[in-house]
Parts: sequence; structure tokens; C-alpha cells
Amino acid sequence: MLKRFLLLRGAEIIVLMALASVPLMVNNTYALGLLTLLAIYGILLIGLDVTVGYLGQVNLAQAAFLGLGAYAAGLSATMLGYGMMASLSISMLVGLVLGGLLAFPALRLDGPQFALATLSFSALSTTVLNEWEGLTSGAQGLSLSRPTWLGLSMDAQGFYWLCLLMLALVWMLMRNLLASQWGRAFEALRDSPIATDAMGVGTYRHKVAGFALGSSLGALAGGLYAFNFQYLQPQSFTYDLMVILLLGVVLGGRKSLWGAFFGACLIVLLPNLLSNKLLFELISAAGLLLAVVSGVRAWKSKSTQHFQILAPIVAMGILVVGGFMVENTENWRKAIFALMLFSVVVGLPDGVMGYIAKLLTRILRVPPADIAAAVSLDTVLPKRESDGQTLLELNDLQRYFGGVKAVDGISLKVRAGQVHGLIGPNGSGKSTAVNVISGLYAPSGGEIRLQGKRLPSGSLLKVARVGVARTFQNLQLFGELSALDNVMVALKGVYRTPLPLLLLGLARAEEQRAQGEALALLELVGLKAQARMAAKDLTYGSQRFLEIARALARKPALLILDEPAAGLAHPDVQVLITLIKTIHERGITIILIEHHMDVVSELCDVVTVLDGGKVIAEGVPDEVKRDAKVIKAYLGVVQDDAPSDAVDRKEAPAC
Amino acid sequence: MNIEIIAQMVVSGALMGLVYALIAYGFQLTYATSKSINFGQGELVMLSAFFSLTLLNIGVPYWLMVPGGLLFGAALGLLVERAGVRLALQQKSEGWILLTIILGLLGFSSAENIWGRDDRPFPTPISSDALHVFGINITPLEISVAIGVFAIMGLVELFKRNTLLGKAFEAVSADRDAAELMGISATRTIMLSYGLSGMVAAMAGILISPITTVGPTMASALILKAFAVAVVAGLDSGFGVVLVGIVLGALESLTSFYIGSGWREAPGLVLLILALAVRPNGVFGKATIRKV
Repeated sequence: MLKRFLLLRGAEIIVLMALASVPLMVNNTYALGLLTLLAIYGILLIGLDVTVGYLGQVNLAQAAFLGLGAYAAGLSATMLGYGMMASLSISMLVGLVLGGLLAFPALRLDGPQFALATLSFSALSTTVLNEWEGLTSGAQGLSLSRPTWLGLSMDAQGFYWLCLLMLALVWMLMRNLLASQWGRAFEALRDSPIATDAMGVGTYRHKVAGFALGSSLGALAGGLYAFNFQYLQPQSFTYDLMVILLLGVVLGGRKSLWGAFFGACLIVLLPNLLSNKLLFELISAAGLLLAVVSGVRAWKSKSTQHFQILAPIVAMGILVVGGFMVENTENWRKAIFALMLFSVVVGLPDGVMGYIAKLLTRILRVPPADIAAAVSLDTVLPKRESDGQTLLELNDLQRYFGGVKAVDGISLKVRAGQVHGLIGPNGSGKSTAVNVISGLYAPSGGEIRLQGKRLPSGSLLKVARVGVARTFQNLQLFGELSALDNVMVALKGVYRTPLPLLLLGLARAEEQRAQGEALALLELVGLKAQARMAAKDLTYGSQRFLEIARALARKPALLILDEPAAGLAHPDVQVLITLIKTIHERGITIILIEHHMDVVSELCDVVTVLDGGKVIAEGVPDEVKRDAKVIKAYLGVVQDDAPSDAVDRKEAPAC
Repeated sequence: MNIEIIAQMVVSGALMGLVYALIAYGFQLTYATSKSINFGQGELVMLSAFFSLTLLNIGVPYWLMVPGGLLFGAALGLLVERAGVRLALQQKSEGWILLTIILGLLGFSSAENIWGRDDRPFPTPISSDALHVFGINITPLEISVAIGVFAIMGLVELFKRNTLLGKAFEAVSADRDAAELMGISATRTIMLSYGLSGMVAAMAGILISPITTVGPTMASALILKAFAVAVVAGLDSGFGVVLVGIVLGALESLTSFYIGSGWREAPGLVLLILALAVRPNGVFGKATIRKV
């Protein structure tokens, strides 16, 4: 643990010290200019990485936020006479507000629509900066002078240290934020927005917050940019710059502060690399070598597709050959970016720093971070006394899809402390009913009451927050997150530290407690040993159990299990039965949708049978199985000599 | 206000709007089969225009140049699908957004270096002497744009409805999994849609070039408006794009007349952001149901 801490923090401090001491050792204005730009782009890319890396969205507006922030700071200083810090704060505010506003339309969007919204925003802000000549002097450009800081006028050296200080601050605060529940929520909503809502975390608010945060960092960088160059033109912040910024983040490595830093170095040095022919040829040759080496390794492990191996080699090959054929590489700047970016996106999805980090972890044997010891299960899920009163009540619940009456007037009562089975042939409306209860769909009619109060309708998040947790028939795990993090995202009642303290790194105790509780739940479902594994790498059976652990982290009053045994091997089904019994003993009320009749018979206190969206029978499992209507629903015809356990033989696959 | 000036503005704007609609129609073709679009489509328009110009310059007659340019566009579309889209679709990721942007950038830079940065005229046998219809000036060239847009859209629609390949296209659009179970290769159908989309982009380039001239940046404003048309109408709205294209074209020519030519891009951009906020599936699009 100590070794890990020393290596990680040590590297940060050494690099920071080295950067800070450069101006003391060399007196070179050009180098100082590059370093200042490096610090500014570092902040900008850390901001961009929040959306591109953590939220997983293609964001084409960061260059626009750089520009808007630059103009906001420049105008505050020239027109309002604000000082350095006040102007920079205005920049950040502009980024935060406009970023938040832009994120509102992006509410329900992802994929191309989100990218298009940001692209339009960029074009629109360039238009406004160009045309609002009264304020920005339009295409002529805006000259300004660097304001004072605490009454001190800043020379180039002082300003460099200020930028570096800002970068270090942003770095520290973002490290704390991204390692907290916030960072996990960002990644969770990228992998499954539906589950993020269903786990009470809130997809929308985190998306807006993440985007606004990234934009305000972009605008802060813009403020520094303005005071660095002291001259602004709208044309500096167009699409071309945006592509270069994306190059920086993707090439450096997503979801990594070091990646953003590496990307910033690259962006700053690129013009120099391209103007020197020899240097350019060396770099493209190194790129080709990297593509070939990693391609050969990937080919040996047979884990990747041929295209992923060949495409980067071809692209880098073109770069090398082209470098010899073309006279002036600067003219081909964009094509060179494109080829490099293409190779990285296809062949090195974790970016250069991701690759190096993996390598260094192996070489230096950096141990993974410690996990706090599991707390006792009684702390996480204290036994509830159940009074047997009605917990959940459905009154004439309906849900239509066009003319299809998926749920057509269901009324039922679920009593506290019971395991309530919900069965029925495929297409009988079980899953739709559960989706309406948990808030994925708004009901077309009827009402749902939990403990006598109306349940919020049509909002996964609100339903989750009043104590209903669910699993999904088609798994909705956060694939990139570890098993432990999957549970930690959903954990209720632990995260209380206010944001400012959390940013300062004062949430460690809380984080430890969260780990302990999450680990206890993993232990309950038998996944303690796999705590560090990414959810997508777990076996199918383990993934089903992880879904249950995650739902339990909500500490729910009502737990809805949607076909938990679907696709499980027989031994796992036995483990599942034991697990559900344990959960039941803790006093948690359970609605169980299941096709395995043996599971239903063994676990359920009451069973409700649906067919065609209506309740056709209700009672204890043994009674229901002999009900003529139930047998008819499953088998289609009623025969006089129908075996009494006809339903047992039906093991329909998940629908 | 002079009603004739307004009418003139509306008509010439609407004719431009048809070209936006045509490019937006190209987005719909690929969106239907694969839920992806080519962010570098503007570069396809531009590269095909340059290629067609080169054909004319080496002496190919105009009416032979048109199919040549269309084939070139289709080939570029296929290239984009292979290099930028297929892998991301297999991985079910949105990497295609970034990859198609990158390919567009590569195309842009190549055009800059191969054909130069200057705008060049694009010769055409169609006259640009204005005709007077009800007090409005309209040129045969502008009319040819309208005819060309409807002709190529009509041809693609006929192809989709009346040939086996076209029906496979419709099947994959309706339900990809079911189509695959019936033995239709989704991968090939997606290739087909990118080929068609590239061809449509090339047509847009050939039609617009005589009016706007040919240059590396000829499509960068065009493409933003095509995006706006596609999103405002809805990426699965069918002929809704034509209506929205006409309205947007007219709106922007009025904006540039009354507010200032610098603001001419603004209506499309504002409409796009508004549409996404209010109706993310577009005015003519269909709402989708979330499934788990």
C-alpha cells in the first residue's frame, strides 16, 4: 500500500517540481511560452476528459468553451476592470452556466444527437463571437492586457507559475472527485443509464453536472489563454482546434489525468514536431514500430480482430511513406493528425498513457489499492421486523403500448416480509408490470401504493429513492466498473460528505465505510474474491449474482427480482435459492418473477399468475399449480387427466 | 417590405434547402440500417465534386461525368463504412462518431493538398440566365438542382421498394435481428446503405458546385445545415427532410437579408439545438420506447 502511494504521489510531485523549476534554470522565453501553454492545455484536456472519457460522449464543444472563457475573462478585465482572479472566476461561471444550459437539451440524448448538439453549439458561438462586434470587436480581434493578481503585476514567469498552480489545483481536486462516488456515477451512467437511475443515483443530474464541470474547466483554461496571449480572435476556437483537442485526449488516454497531461504535451509540441522533418520521420517510424509490436502481440493472443491489428499498421505505414514523399509536412498537418488519431482509436483504445501505465504497473509490481475489510452483514442489512401488513398495492394497473394491452387491470397486494411470486407464460405481462412498478414506464391507468403512499410514476430514480430496488432480466451491469464499484455506486446512506470537503480529499473515512459495506454484500452473494474484476469479465452466473448484490446495496424495503435464475446452471440455481432465503430472513420483501417452478415452489409464500395482462389465479404455490386456468394458460388445453404438476415441466426460456 | 423581394429570397433559399435535404437524406439511409451516420459526409460531397471537376477537365463530357462522380462517391462511402464504422458497430460502441470525423479530416487535408485551397468554378452546360416567373428571377441552373434532388431521391426509393436488395435494405431497417434470422446479411446491407449514401452525397456535390464553386471548405457550412435538417425532421422521417430543408433554406436566406450575412448559419444551429431539447426524435420522427 505504501509503495503504491509513494509511487503515485511521488511521480506527481517530481513532475510538478521539475516543471516549476524550469524557469529558474533556463532563461528562454520560447520555452517558457510552451510550458505556459502546456499548463493551460492540461486544464482544458482534464475538463474534456470528463465528458469524453468518463461520460463516454463525443463532445465537440470544448474549443468553443475555451473561446467563450477567453472572451469572458478578457472582457471582464478590459471593460469591467476586474483583477486576475475575479476575471478567471467569471470565465468559470460562464462555462458552468452555458455548459449546464447546453447539457439540458442533451438530457435524453446520446450518440450522434449529443455530438451534433455540441457541434452546433460550437458553430453558433463562433458566429456570435464574430458578429457581435460591439462587444468582441469581431474578426478584428480583441487586445487586452494582463490584469494584476493581489496587486502584483505578472511577468511571463510569474504568470507561468500561476498557470502551473492552477493545473496542480485542478489536478488535485479532480483526482479526489473522480475517485469518489461522483466519478463512479459518471462511469456508471455511461455503461447503463437505466440502471444508474434504477439504483437511485440519477443519470440526468450527473450528466449535466459532469458536462458543466468539464465546460467550466475549459472556460478556466480559456481565461488563462486570454491573459497569456493578450489577443483574441474568434477564428482561434473553431472546429480544427476541437479535433486537435480530441487527438490530445484520445492519444494521451481517456479516463486518466496523466493521459490528459500527455495529450497536452503532444498538442504543444506538435507544431515543432511537424516543422522538423527528421524529427517527424523518427516519430512516424516509432509509431509504425509501436503499431507492429502491439499488433504482433495482439495477434499472438488472438483476442483482437484482424482489422484492429492491420488498420493502425497501414495508417502508420502511410505516415512513414508519406513523410518521405511529401516536401512540406506542415501542409499535411491535418492528414497527419487524422492518421495518428485513427491508429490510436482503432488500435490503442486506452491511449498511450493507458498502455504505459499497464506496462509500468507490471514492471514495478505496483500493488492494487487496498480494499477496506468487510463489515458485518448486520450493519449493512439490519434485520427488519415485518408486521405482515400490505407493503405494495396495485389497483387496476394498466399499461398499453398502442393497441397492445400488456398490463390490463392488475390488482394485487404484496405483504411485508413475504416472497411474492409473479408467474405466467411468456408475454403475460410480468415484466411490463414490474417495469411499471419500478418506474421505467408510466402506467396508462390505475395506481400503485407503497406503504399506503402513492408511488411516483414513470421515474426509475424516484421509485428507487423511496426504497424499491430491482434487478434486470437482461443484465444492466456497469461493465467497465469493478464488481466492488458496481455495488458501491448503488450504496445508500453512506455518502454524506458535502462536495467542497470531498474535493479537498476529506471523504476518505466515508469511502472506507462504503468499501466495507459493499464487500460485505459481495461476500453474501459469493463474489468477494472477484471484487476487483470488471463486471463485464465475470461469468454469466456471477453477473446475475452481482446484480442482486447491487440491488441490495439500496437497502430496499422491496426487492424485485426479474428472472434471477434465467440461464443459470443447476448448481447456481441452488445457491440462488439459499441466497434468496437469506435475504428473506433479513425481512426484505421480495417480488420474484420466475419460470423455474421448483424455485417458485420452494421460495414463495404467495404466487400471482398472470395471463394476457390479467390476474388469473392467486394463492400458495401448490394450490396455484392445480388451478385449471393456470394449466390452461400454460398448456393451452385442459385435459381431464392433466398431470397435477404440469407446470413443473414448463421451463420456458427467458422472453 | 417589398413582397417580391421576400418571395425571391424564399424561392432561392428553398432551392438551396433542397440540397441540404438531399444530404440529410443520405444520413437517413445509413441511420436506417445501422443507427450511425457519417460525420465526414461534407468531405464526401467536396471530394466527389473535386473528382467530377477533374473528370470534366480531362475531357469527359458532362453527362458521362455525372455517373462517374456518383460511382466515386459510392466508393468513398464504402471506404468510410469499412474503415470507420464497421468495427465500432461490431463492438456496439459509438466509436464511429470519432472515426468518421477523423476520416473526414483526412479527406479534407488530402483535397487541400491535391487540388489546392482555392475555390474553382465548375462548368456546366445548363444556362444560368434568369427567367422571370411571376416577378421572381429563377435560373435553369437552380431548376436543375431541384430536378436532380428529386430524381436521385426517387431512384433510391424505387430501388428500395422494387428490388430484392432494396427489400433487404428495408428489412434490416425495420428489424435487424429478424432480418439476420431470415438470412439477410446485416453487414452487407449496411455497406449498401453507405454506398448509396455516398452516391447521394456525390450528387449533392455535382448539383451545388456550379452555383457555389468547388473548394475544400465548400461543404463545411453545408454539412452543418444538413445535420440541422436531419435532426429537426428526424433521422427516420423519410421525406420529412424535404419539407424541413425547404423551410430552413428560406429562413436562412431571409435571415441573411434582414439581419446580416454573418448570421446566416444561425437559424439552422438554433433550430437543431431547440429540436433536440423539445423533440429529440424530430418533428416527423417516431418516438422510441425504452427497453430493458
